[in-house]
Amino acid sequence: MTTAADIDHLIARVALGDRSAFSKLYDATSAKLFGVALRVLNNTASAEDVLQETFMKIWRYADRYASNGMSPMTWLITIARNTAIDRLRATKQTSDIADVEDRVAASGPTPEQSAVAGSEAKRIVGCLDQLPDDRRAAVRGAYLQGESYADLAAQFDVPLNTMRTWLRRSLLALRECMTQ
Amino acid sequence: MSEQLTPEDENRVAAAEYTLRLMDADEERRFEARLSEDQALKQDVAEWVAHFAPLADEYAPVKPPAAVKARLTANLFGAPDVPASIWSRLGFWRGLSFAATAAAAVLAVVLVTQPAPDAPVSGPFYLSEIASEDDSLRVLAMFDGATGGMRVTRTAGEAVAGRDFELWAIVGDNAPVSLGVLTDGGVDTIAIPASLQGAFGGVVLAISDEPDGGSPTGAPTGAVLAVGQVSGV
Repeated sequence: MTTAADIDHLIARVALGDRSAFSKLYDATSAKLFGVALRVLNNTASAEDVLQETFMKIWRYADRYASNGMSPMTWLITIARNTAIDRLRATKQTSDIADVEDRVAASGPTPEQSAVAGSEAKRIVGCLDQLPDDRRAAVRGAYLQGESYADLAAQFDVPLNTMRTWLRRSLLALRECMTQ
Repeated sequence: MSEQLTPEDENRVAAAEYTLRLMDADEERRFEARLSEDQALKQDVAEWVAHFAPLADEYAPVKPPAAVKARLTANLFGAPDVPASIWSRLGFWRGLSFAATAAAAVLAVVLVTQPAPDAPVSGPFYLSEIASEDDSLRVLAMFDGATGGMRVTRTAGEAVAGRDFELWAIVGDNAPVSLGVLTDGGVDTIAIPASLQGAFGGVVLAISDEPDGGSPTGAPTGAVLAVGQVSGV
């Protein structure tokens, strides 16, 4: 069993260029990150490419992890999820090659926030349950499968702006619930 | 949105949209331009990342095929144990389109077994271990000059679904010659072309990742995963 502290330590070693730590980090986390890529992409070959790209980013950017305050798995999953979503959208010809790492680096919570997030873990599930079924499904689809407003509008068969209004309202309600 | 939001709420909603990746590419770019110079907005994004993080519990872990790790380490760390000349030649053959230095290898040629007593020993006998750097793919090849056949035994690694391992022989500066696709069973007997048999002592064997059924072009198209030097026994 690899604990969060173990993964934290491995990432710190990887930041120093330790290949054996990188190999151990891969062994400890690749199944989860492959699961992320598979869920988003629903295609084994693409998910394998994304897994490889994810770990290349981890190797390259591990030194930025220490400063961002996220839990180690959240950091790794965020990279995998964003890399998978980028791939999904690139294959849909929307050609956004956003630098996922910039996104991650820009979005790290402070250590205090991480502590708060820890005590709040799972609250998101309870708060999502308070949303109407279709709104909850849309938020979950956006998180778990990387669906955009355009994807969700098509899926729920409503105009884009209707979906946008629904979700914006739901996100505000979620935030209110989360910070209560 | 029809109702008016305070600027703070507007930012919080935009941060959630960005974190979830609901925005289209243009909206993301515009948001990132603001993000780079707005500390409060970064905090909003950070909060949402933390809020949504527990949803990741729903991603079910799936063990990836071993070949992914082999390709990854080959791409990242290259192949320090193989003479540079081999890799530059492989790179040349694989064409300019494949920019990354892929591949790995060890040339560990070990005399493991004597030929069985009843095996003909009249011809030359060669052995090669073709292995990736991290040993996730290992193939032992034994060529028997008396029969012209090479017995290939895979001792580690399997091809990703929908992909195949293809074995190549390389002599000097000539283009690689395909020796065929490795079957799933792990043991193959391959008839070596007569043109290669005489020069087998100087052959380099390589395994590349190819589409199902092998390279469509007759030359390696995918990453070279493993290389081995042939030695006489």
